[in-house]
Parts: sequence; structure tokens; C-alpha cells
Amino acid sequence: MSKADNKRSIILGIFVLVGIGILFAAIFTLGGQQNRFAKKVEIKAVFDNVEGLKTGNNIWFSGVKIGIVKAVHFRDDRKVELVLGIDDKSHEYIRKNSTAKIGSDGLIGNKIIVIEGGSTDVPPVESGDELRTLKGTDTEKMMSTLQVNNENLVGITENIRQLSQKVLRGEGTIGAALTDSIMANNMRTMMASLTQAATNTNKVTAALANFTAKLNTQGSLANELLTDTVVYSNLRAAVAQLQGVTQTASALTTNLGQASEKLNTSLSSPDNTLGLLLSDKATATTIKQTMVNLEASTAKLDENMEALQHNFLLRGFFKKRDKEAAKAKEAEEKAQQ
Amino acid sequence: MALDKIKRMFIELANIARFVGRFFKELFNPPFEFKEIIRQCYEVGWKSLPLISLTGFVVGFVFTNQSRPSLQEFGATSWLPALISIAIIRALAPLVTALISAGKVGSNIGAELGSMNVTEQIDAMEVSGTNPFKFLVVSRVIATTFMIPILTFYSAFVGLLGGFLNINQNENTSFLSYFYEVFDAVDFLDLFAMGFRSIIFGFTIGIVGCYQGYHSSKGTEGVGRAANWSVVMSMFLIFVEELLIVQILQGLRV
Amino acid sequence: MIKQHTSTIDYNDKVIDIHDVYKSFGTLEVLKGVDLQLFKGENLVVLGRSGTGKSVLIKLISGLLMPDQGTINVLGEQVDELDVKELQKLRLRIGFSFQSSALYDSMTIRENLEFPLVRNKRHLKRAEIDESVENVLEAVGLSQTINQMPSELSGGQRKRIGIARTLILQPDIMLYDEPTAGLDPITCIDINNLINEVQQQYKTSSIIITHDLACAKTVGDRIVMLLDGRFERQGNFDEIFDTDDARVKPFHDYNFID
Repeated sequence: MSKADNKRSIILGIFVLVGIGILFAAIFTLGGQQNRFAKKVEIKAVFDNVEGLKTGNNIWFSGVKIGIVKAVHFRDDRKVELVLGIDDKSHEYIRKNSTAKIGSDGLIGNKIIVIEGGSTDVPPVESGDELRTLKGTDTEKMMSTLQVNNENLVGITENIRQLSQKVLRGEGTIGAALTDSIMANNMRTMMASLTQAATNTNKVTAALANFTAKLNTQGSLANELLTDTVVYSNLRAAVAQLQGVTQTASALTTNLGQASEKLNTSLSSPDNTLGLLLSDKATATTIKQTMVNLEASTAKLDENMEALQHNFLLRGFFKKRDKEAAKAKEAEEKAQQ
Repeated sequence: MALDKIKRMFIELANIARFVGRFFKELFNPPFEFKEIIRQCYEVGWKSLPLISLTGFVVGFVFTNQSRPSLQEFGATSWLPALISIAIIRALAPLVTALISAGKVGSNIGAELGSMNVTEQIDAMEVSGTNPFKFLVVSRVIATTFMIPILTFYSAFVGLLGGFLNINQNENTSFLSYFYEVFDAVDFLDLFAMGFRSIIFGFTIGIVGCYQGYHSSKGTEGVGRAANWSVVMSMFLIFVEELLIVQILQGLRV
Repeated sequence: MIKQHTSTIDYNDKVIDIHDVYKSFGTLEVLKGVDLQLFKGENLVVLGRSGTGKSVLIKLISGLLMPDQGTINVLGEQVDELDVKELQKLRLRIGFSFQSSALYDSMTIRENLEFPLVRNKRHLKRAEIDESVENVLEAVGLSQTINQMPSELSGGQRKRIGIARTLILQPDIMLYDEPTAGLDPITCIDINNLINEVQQQYKTSSIIITHDLACAKTVGDRIVMLLDGRFERQGNFDEIFDTDDARVKPFHDYNFID
């Protein structure tokens, strides 16, 4: 073998060695990091539904990765049995009464097994033990509960809509009371007068402003008039009268406010005829029931919201939900009037 | 004439099949040309290292840089190492290495054997008592089959380093946490698939180059065509193989 | 200068005996019933125009091609009936000088020359190999080129190295394919002389394929002419061209316009 051949062989040897070294380093890093080579304690957990969890998924305990799922297979009773490979050095922290549930790594991440709880007076798990399992936050179930709520809410809204329509058409006792009332007629008249008064006041004020502007113009007739004391005192009297008119209008508004307040109290108080009608009749009961239902569903909704609020996939759903809630509230207010 | 073309195509296919068959027959028949194999490994592996390293580095660096904006949109730049790791180990390193090697090594083999054929060197070898197929073809195909995977490991490593440099500049991720995330994103199947497919690619580059060169038509024009076709054919086959391997791996992964 | 009669030829010993050989490529019939004998120690020149199948003939002799029909006997062996190993063995006794020299571009002259030795006689020691290399280099007069690459040499030098590489195995038969093609006239004379020297020094029997009449005249003990796929004329130089055959005369006239 010549010198060149020798040199070539040496360089090639180094090249190949380093190349294979890179592969080996990768394999060992990978193995070490994913703990493929570490000694494992194998325990079991049985679930009705593993939600797409597969071999190789991580197992967390208090947020620390302590192993991987080694096998997923069906049992005779069609439940899914998981074999969990727990790192030898971590298994002592898992107690025989710890529980396992299925969670997810991040918002849209892989499925993981989350092990929780366990009391210190219970011995650590051993190979072959079966952990108790909890139902995790099953997204699908959450969605179906929400769907039922949604349907309920639609029913409620429909009821309220029908009710308010009846009220508007003057059907039923409340409707009649509300529509036929003399008070309502009076109120309408009152409102018309008030509007008239306000319009007049406006006109007067405008005229006054115009007049004042003319007063300020030097050499005009009005300016000259102003120097005349007689005319001036007349003018002052006119302004005072105008003020009086404005005060009267303001008193009228106050009265009107009181009247509407009285109307309000009469509606809620059972002493009043109108109030009596509302609180005693079956319709009133229905409304009350409606309110209760609504409250209950809102509470349920709150719970679900809490569970789902961060899940951006459901964000669109919640927006829709908000809109519907607003609609329902509107209808409720309508019914109360 | 179309019939003639089809006939020629089938003859060509038969020749290729015979060539590959002969390769495997001669591969296991002694004597073995160890010295020539080492020489070819040196030529294919060591001589391609600078080019492969440079491309690997550039691919890693640029890919990282180009992937950042879309991840930034989700505020998920912390996923960059995982993304780069999967991209480089599953696809880029084997593919880029194979394509560059097809260009460099494949054309070289095609041209070298082509010109040896034209200048009767292959005949000369045969009449001087050396099996030219074993000496020229088997040694080269063995060299590419074993060296391309090693070059792929280099290029993956250098590519990941390129990615690290870019991430370190922009996100200040440390070396350790970068490589932790890189290895968190892949598994053994990915590593073995990288090795497996680069072995296939290496074999393809070698056998195509040798076939084109060994069966080149006489004349200087034939040499050029042999070199050219070596590259075109092996690149095309590499993509077809990649497609098949991806399908198989998907089946394995489920 | 017509070659003088070589006294060492043994006309009783046929080293090559070709009988009724046919060879065609596709629809092109190249050899149509060729008969040829080469005697021990003889330089046989095969004359013919380009594309008449002269090269095919010596490729058949060395087993690079197989005949469609007919028998080829070389050194007592039936070439078309040998298996790979026997053929390999026979080939070591045949030197083949290619038209394009066929030096291995990637190797130095030394590596080129020792290639047949190293690969066929593995028992040889380094010193013995070196000695053989120096000997053949000296025989072709190019000792100074030993560490050069083929690309650094001229066409004539390459041809000589090509011949040297075949001589290193000390063959019994030499086959020259167009030894003077593409060379200037002075170099041609050198090569022709070399062919005669090889005949004397290495005691070879040779077939020289050429269309160069000067070469044929200088090196040929006997000349045969390949016409239309058959050997039609044979004899020494003067005998060959002592004819009115319209296929032969232009050959002579073109080469010797004076």
C-alpha cells in the first residue's frame, strides 16, 4: 500500500467514525431524553375512552414527565387498557391510590396521561398495579352538555317571544290592562303637551338669541330702542315672563317623572290592581319559572365557560352564545314592561 | 415509430434490470476490491463533505429564518426548534444531501465511466484480467450506498447547527435547550428512516451513474449525455423514492 | 522500406486459427465467413478500410466479443467455449494495444503499468513489480515519465505506455489496433520500429490492424486484406498490390501519391 493510500484510508476512517459518531450521539441523546433506555415500572390504567392517546405519549405527575405510554389495547369488556411505563426513579412518588386521567399537553397539543393525588400513608405503586381512573375534561361531553343548554335556551326565548307578542296584541288580562288603561291615554296626552311646550321654549329661545344679536348691531333700530329706558324695562318684563314659562315646563317634567314612577311601583306591588294581575295569574308563574330556568342555565353556562374559556377553537361558539344571551335579555326586558 | 420507441424503452428497462441483477451477483462473488472501495469512499464521502456541510448549514439557517414569521403570528416561536428538527431530520437532510450528491457524485461517476468506456479503458481492464464491473461499478455503488448516509448525518448535524445559530441570534435560546427541544420532537423511527432513505438514495445515485456511464454511447457526446442523464435520472428517482418512503413511514407511524 | 524476412517464424505452429467466423451487429453483417491463421513469431498485418470489421476481429480473438458462428482457436483454446475464469487466464497471454491507448486516466504511469501485474500476480513482491515496471518502461524508452499522469503525455508516448502495459505480462500474442492512427509520420516510424523490436525481444506473434500502408510495409511479415467481410488477398506487400482489383488499387494509390 502506498503512502497516498495510507493517508486516504486514515482520513476516510476519521470521516466515517465522526459520521457514525453523530448518529450514535443522536441515538443516545434521544434515548436518554425520552428515557427509552431507563428502567421502567409498568402499571396499568383502564379507561372507557382514551380520546386518541397512543403509544409513546407522555405521562405527567405534578407537571413533570415521568414516563411514556407503552401500549394501548382493548380488554375483553371493550374498555381500553393502557400500559404505563413509569421511570424507576419516579415511581416511588406515585401511590397506590393515585388517580390517572387523560389530559392534553397545551391547548392543542398531544394527549397525555396526568397522574394526580395519592396519600403518603399508602405505599408506592408496584409493577402490575392498576391505577384508578377519572374522567377528564372530555371536550366532546362538554360540547354535548352545551348543546342541551343551547336547546333549552332556544325554548325559553321562544316562550318569552310568544308571551311578549300576546302582551303587545293586548291579549290576556295584563295585555288588556296595559293597553286599555286610561292612564296610558293620559300619559300620551301629557307627553304630547310636554313636547309642545319644549318646542315652544325652543322657538322663544331662538328668537331671543336673534334679537340679542340685533341689539348688539350699532345704529340699528333695536340699538336705538335700547337707549330708550321705557322700551328696555318692557323688554325686561318680557324676559321675566319667559323665565316663568320655562319653570312651569320644568315642573311639568318632574310631575311626569313621578307619574311614571308610580306606574312602576304599581306594577310590582300586589296591592295595586295591575300588580295583582301580574303576580297572581298563571302567566306570572310562567314568567317566574322562566326566570328560574334562565338563572339555572346561566349558572351551568358559567361552569362550562370556565372550562372552555381558553380553548380558542370554541371561541367562535362563545361569541354566538353571547349574542343569544343578549337576545334573551332583551326579550326578558320586553316582557317586564 | 412510436412502437419502435416503446420497444426501445423496454429494451432499456431490461438492460437496467440486468445491470442491477449483475451488481448483486458480483457484489457477493469474491474477489472483493477493498482497496478500490476505500478509494471510492474517499472520493465520494470525504471530497463531498465541504459542499454538503455548506449546503446543510445554509438550509438549516435559511429554513429557520423563513419559518419564523408564520410561527410568530401565533406567538409560537418557541416551537421553532421542534419544527426545524422535524423538517431537517425527516426530510431536508436526506433529500438535500441526496440531491447535491446526485449533482456532484452522480455526474462524476457518469462522466468518468462514460469516458472510460469511450476510450476503451473498460475493455482494456477486461483484457488485462480484471473484472471491470466489479472494479468500477461495484466499488462505486458500495461507496455511494455507505457514504451518502454518513454525509446525511453530517448535513443534519450542521443543518441543526445552522438553525441553532439563527434561533440563538433571534430568540436567545441556549444550546442545551435548543437541542433538548430538537430531540423532543423526533423519535427513533425518524432517525432510522433518515438512515434508511439515505441508503436507498445513495444506492440510486451510484447505480444510475454507473449504468449511464457503463452503457454510454461511444464518442465524446456520449460522455456528456451519460453525466447529464445520471443527474436527471437519479434526481427523478430520488423524488419517486421519497414519495414511496413517506407513504410507508406513514403506514408505520399509525 | 519493406520488412526483411523474419527467420524466427515457425510455420508449423498456428497460435491463432480462425475458421469460418460470422459476426453481425443488428442488421449489419460485418464478418462473413472469415478464415485466418497466425503463425508463431509472425507479424500479421490486417489491412482494410474503416468500418470493415478489423477491430471486431481482434475483439473476437480476445473474447471481448463472441462470434455468431464459426470457431476461434487461440493458443490451443477454443475462445467461444471458455468460462469466465479460463478466458481470464487466456487473456493474460494476449496483449491488447488499443487504438486510443486506453490508459487509466486516474492513475499515474507507474500505477497504470503495474495494474495488470498487481491484479493478476498477487504473490509478487514490491521490488519485483518495480523492476518489471522499469524494464518495460525502458523497452519503450519512456523511463522519465514514471510518475506522470497520462494526461501529461503526448499521443505517441501514450501509445508506447499502452504497449508497455501489455508487455509487462510478457504475452505470447500481441494485438495492435491501429497503432499509428492519429500520430505524426515521424512518431509512426518510431511506433513501427517498436512493434518490430517487441517481436524480436519478447518473441511475440502479432496481429496489427491498420489502414496505414507505410506501417503495413514496415512491420508486416504477411499482409491480409479484409474486403466485404472476407479475407480476399494475402501475401507480402508487393504481392497484395500486384492487382487491378478496383477495391484494392485506390488504397495503394491514396497512400502513395508521388
